[in-house]
Amino acid sequence: MNVEEHVEAVGQDDWFVRAAGMVGDLGNPFYREERERDVWNEASAVGLQLVLWLGLAAAAGMVWLGGAPALPYAIVVFVIVGAGSGVGLLYAHRLGVRVSATGRVLRLRLVPYVALVVLFLFGALRAAPSSGFGASFVGGMAVGGVAGVLTLAWSGIRARRNKQLDNS
Amino acid sequence: MGRTSARGRRNAVRMARTAHQLTQAELAREIGVTRQTVVAVEAGDYAPSVYLALAIAARLGGTVEQLFGESPLADLAGNQDERKAGL
Repeated sequence: MNVEEHVEAVGQDDWFVRAAGMVGDLGNPFYREERERDVWNEASAVGLQLVLWLGLAAAAGMVWLGGAPALPYAIVVFVIVGAGSGVGLLYAHRLGVRVSATGRVLRLRLVPYVALVVLFLFGALRAAPSSGFGASFVGGMAVGGVAGVLTLAWSGIRARRNKQLDNS
Repeated sequence: MGRTSARGRRNAVRMARTAHQLTQAELAREIGVTRQTVVAVEAGDYAPSVYLALAIAARLGGTVEQLFGESPLADLAGNQDERKAGL
């Protein structure tokens, strides 16, 4: 970037950012004290990671242990976990922080998450009925899940490659 | 160790605060943070924002570089020597 280039401030007035701020209660006076805010942000990250772990493990366990009767409940848990992390990623993206572009996405700690997602998807395919809406829904979910994992891997590889090019 | 950590970097906040005979609670009240934040800043457990660093420096009568620079203790000691010498 040369001195003539500049990056526009992004997203603070965006409707999604404002709505997410209301959901997150980001106008709370508690956030004015910067260290309390930073520590709370770290604590929230810990909580989100724990919910991701437990949610994915619960969803995978439900489809493998409970079979077809547990499938709808497992899907609900999976969707809730996905919605939480998806909204978090989108919020960061709207404010100019692209997690997939940092080159730090592909880390060993990602492996257990991917393993749980794959375990859940295989379990869901196994427990799903052989035809009808349920079969189509789970089939679509499995294709979407595989596409998501591949996109994540591709983003990470691309970000690493860009970083290497920048450094050379 | 969290993102907010200053990774053990030394600073001269405690030295400047005691030189001004301020308690941690008094400094915290005057710059609008909690006492725990002042404790964490002094211990190098928390890297303050530029605005908080400026507020601390303004209250303690120094510059951010003197309080948080590469060799903050030497800078501040030098500054105090200059004051004593009337420079």
